[in-house]
Amino acid sequence: MNQTDKPIANPIVVLREEFDDWAVLFNPDTADAMGTNPVGVAVWKRMDGKRSLEDIASEIRNSFEDTPDAASKEIADFVNTLAENGFAGLELESK
Amino acid sequence: MPEELKDKIESTASKVMRTPRSLDIEITARCNLRCRYCYFFNNPAVEYRDLPTDEWLKFFDELGSLGVMNVTLAGGEPFIRKDLPILLEGIARNRMRFSFLSNGALIDDEIAAFIARTGRCEHVQVSVDGSCAEVHDSCRGQGSFDGAIRGIRTLQRHRIGVAVRVTIHRSNVNDLDNIAHFLLEELGLPNFGTNSAGYMGTCCVNADDLLLNIEERKEAMVTLLRLTANNNGRISADAGPLADGRMWRRMEEARVQNEPAFHNGGRLTACGCPSNKISVRADGAIVPCNMLAHVKLGRINHDSLAEIWKNSPALNQLRNRYTIPLTGFEFCAGCSYIPYCTGNCPGLAYTLTGMVDHPSPDACLRRFLEEGGAVV
Repeated sequence: MNQTDKPIANPIVVLREEFDDWAVLFNPDTADAMGTNPVGVAVWKRMDGKRSLEDIASEIRNSFEDTPDAASKEIADFVNTLAENGFAGLELESK
Repeated sequence: MPEELKDKIESTASKVMRTPRSLDIEITARCNLRCRYCYFFNNPAVEYRDLPTDEWLKFFDELGSLGVMNVTLAGGEPFIRKDLPILLEGIARNRMRFSFLSNGALIDDEIAAFIARTGRCEHVQVSVDGSCAEVHDSCRGQGSFDGAIRGIRTLQRHRIGVAVRVTIHRSNVNDLDNIAHFLLEELGLPNFGTNSAGYMGTCCVNADDLLLNIEERKEAMVTLLRLTANNNGRISADAGPLADGRMWRRMEEARVQNEPAFHNGGRLTACGCPSNKISVRADGAIVPCNMLAHVKLGRINHDSLAEIWKNSPALNQLRNRYTIPLTGFEFCAGCSYIPYCTGNCPGLAYTLTGMVDHPSPDACLRRFLEEGGAVV
């Protein structure tokens, strides 16, 4: 079965929103934690396995002012980092 | 956590997280031992009774909804609860990790295997207060040393992290070299922690027999500083003679060099715990810290933990302790260490002076020196 380009958050990971809208992503199975800024939080909340990376980037551009041109690449890098650390994966194609 | 985020969190010390990151939970008021310096028992403010399983499971659901990351289960002795596997499943189901404070004696293969299977255990802290039964059992009771070591061996067999804490008192202060050798070499632990018996709970009744006098305290500092230097820092302390020895050495050097005040020095800053975590007593009372068990903030499953965390006047008063300057206390008048002092533990301040908003006399360097102590 092939992977899609639709990222999906690992359901075991806890999103702890702290003050100033920064957050910690915490994987209780591994005890790994990762800090993220408000844009990362917005991306995380959209990683439902239904939206593609470009869908997410588009929504982020509409939600935040002064989004840089490189936003799509930065979001892809962020999602890759999450995936490499076991915080997320890519939805599989359905048959 | 990345340094970037840590720095950001520290730089906004006056702000508080939306919910507590971790909780200390006294899961039971029962214990198989009656240690002579136990801080938990003989506290007139505490109601010693246990809650049923369902009450804890409901509370763990609330913690899960708040994104709490860790709970530390203490007591009493947490392994005395027969429903412990059900409670641990409730914690795991709510995406939390857990650790224990234990005397070790009730840990058997069955519960150790269960804990290992959860994959969520940070560590089990077992108290070991001597290198042999004679020393350890002097304050903890006959058979307790064998139980502790059996528990540690069981945990090691199941590859569960073991943290050992040595509580230093008058009966083991001369055994510290042997204890370090026993724990680091014979048991093969990577490290261990130390503190000392404090004037709380049962210890208040036995204080004359147990609390270190000035000479013993000085001796413990010298020994522990030497041991930790000789063992590549494998001995740690957040309180007690080793922590005092390190801190007082820094304070004395700063005073002599007339250095600027330490970060958070000169005010009642202490440990900062009320901004990171909160505690629950065995009877379900929510309190700021196990050391401040008399400060009831609410009750689990009756009051919203999030609401208490954000808006409890008593908790916010504790958080604002850091605004109280030491210069305002008669106790501190004329002290040249003020810029480097944090006033230390509010729990000990309360048991020793009757006031939470007061520096702890136990941690006072000037008093220690006046009574014959020395910076080592």
